[in-house]
Amino acid sequence: MSVALSRCLCRILSRQTAPSSSMLGEHHPAGPWFAPVMTLKTSAPLRAQPKKKKKGIDPKQEHLSRERLKRKVRKLEKVSAEFIPIEDFFTPEKCSEETRHRSVPRLSFEESEGRALLLKEWCRYKQKQHTAEMQAVEFAVEAQREALEELKLESEKLYQAALKPDTLLFPFTHEGPAYTPRITNYEAPIGKYIDTTRVYKQ
Amino acid sequence: MAAPCRRMAGRSLSQFLSCFSRTSVGNTGFRQFSNTSVCRESRKTENVTESARSPWTVMAAVCLQRLPVITADCSPMEQQFGQMINQMELEKSVLTDHELRLQEEAERLRRLQAGEYDSDEEDNQMKQEIILAQDLEDLWEQKLKNFQPAQRVNADVDKDLTSAERCLADTLLLLAEQQVGGEKLWLLPQTQWQDGETLRQTAERALHSLPAADFKATFLGNAPCGVYKYKLPRAARTESSVGTKVFFFKAVLSDGAPPAAPDAPFLWLKKGELQGFLKPAYKTKVERFILGL
Repeated sequence: MSVALSRCLCRILSRQTAPSSSMLGEHHPAGPWFAPVMTLKTSAPLRAQPKKKKKGIDPKQEHLSRERLKRKVRKLEKVSAEFIPIEDFFTPEKCSEETRHRSVPRLSFEESEGRALLLKEWCRYKQKQHTAEMQAVEFAVEAQREALEELKLESEKLYQAALKPDTLLFPFTHEGPAYTPRITNYEAPIGKYIDTTRVYKQ
Repeated sequence: MAAPCRRMAGRSLSQFLSCFSRTSVGNTGFRQFSNTSVCRESRKTENVTESARSPWTVMAAVCLQRLPVITADCSPMEQQFGQMINQMELEKSVLTDHELRLQEEAERLRRLQAGEYDSDEEDNQMKQEIILAQDLEDLWEQKLKNFQPAQRVNADVDKDLTSAERCLADTLLLLAEQQVGGEKLWLLPQTQWQDGETLRQTAERALHSLPAADFKATFLGNAPCGVYKYKLPRAARTESSVGTKVFFFKAVLSDGAPPAAPDAPFLWLKKGELQGFLKPAYKTKVERFILGL
C-alpha cells in the first residue's frame, strides 16, 4: 500500500515539479519511469519509521524507571526484619538440666492450707490499700477543684495564671528512698563496671 | 477563650488594667461563669463599677514537703507474706552454678576424708581450683561486715521536731509560727498577695521570707492545691474585709535541708502529728491534699 501511495505522490510531484524544471530550462526526458530527482525515493531505508528525536527529559525518565525497577527488586529480596528476642521469655537449656533439680521436702497439708489462706489475706490487704490510695487521690483532686473555684470567684486574672501549665517543672528528678540513709563524705571503693547486656540491632 | 475577650475589649484595656491595679480582685457581684460574650460584658461592667472590690483578703501559703529518704518498714502482714513468697520461689527454683560448685566440693571433701581417694582424678581437679566456693562465701561475708551503713532509725533525732532529718521513712510537712490577727499560730508559712504577682510567686515569697532558713524547693505547678476560707469574727468585720482566703501551693524540698538554728520557729511534722499543732478547721482543709500514703 505504501508503494501505491508513494507512486501517487510521485505522479503529483512530477506534475508539480515539471513546470519548475521547465522554467529552469533544463531538458529532461518526460515519462513515468524517468521521474525527476526531487520525487520521493521509496528505497528501503525510507520505509522504516523515522528515528525518534532525543528529548532533554529522557535521561530523567530513564533514571526514574531504573529507580522504580531497583525498588521493586529490593522489595522482593528484602527479608522481613527479625524480632528482637525478649530474653525473659526464653528459658536457657542450662536450667532444665537434671543435675540442677533441687530436692525439696513435700509440704504438709497444714502448710499448704496456711499458704492459701495467707494469699487470700494478702489479697484483702492489698485491696484495702488500693481503695485507701484511690480515696486519698480523690480528696486531693477535690480540694484542688474547690481551690480553683474560690480563686475564680476572687479574680479572673489570677485564675487564668493558675491554669497555665508550668513549663519549667519538667524534667523533674528526685532521688527515691533507699534502704539506708546516705553516709556523709562516703568514698566508694574504686572498681570497674562491665555492662554485659546483649544489644540487638534490627 | 481569654484571647478573643482581650481583643474585643481593646480600647478599654488600659482602663481595665488601671482598674485592676487599684482593686485587689475583681467583682464577685458581677462574676458569671464565663463565655466569650459574657466575658466581654463582665469586663465592661468592671470598668464601670471600679469601686467594688472583693471583701476577701487573698493570701498564699506553701505546703513544703520533705519526701521519704529511706524505705518504710514492712507491716507484719507484709513481712509474713514476703517470707512465704521467698520460700515458694526457692522451692520452685533450680540450683545455681555456685550451689552446684558448693555441692561438688563438699562431696569431694567428704570423699577425701573418707579415704576414697582417686589420686589422678582428684589431683587434676585440685590443681584447677585453688579457692573453694565455701572460701569465697566467707570472703564475701567478711567484706559485708566491713561495710557500716548509716543507721536507719535514730531515736534522738526523731524526737527533735525541728530537725528535717527526723522520721526518714515518712513525708514531713513544714510548719511555721506566724502572727495571725492577735495571736501566734502554727500554720503553713503564708503571706499576703500583692498586686502584680501571681499566687505562686506569693507562695515562693512566703517560703523565702521565712527567717533564718533558705529552703531549696521545687513548686509543683501553678495551680493551688487547696484553699482555706476564714471569716473574721463579727466584731472585726468591715465593708472591705470579711475574711481571708488562703490558697495552698505544694512544693517538694530538693536535696539537703540546711540545719536550722535551734530556736527557729519551724516544725517538721508527719501527717499524724498535725493534730497537736493546727486548729481543727484548718487541719481538716490541709489534711485533704496531703496524701498520707
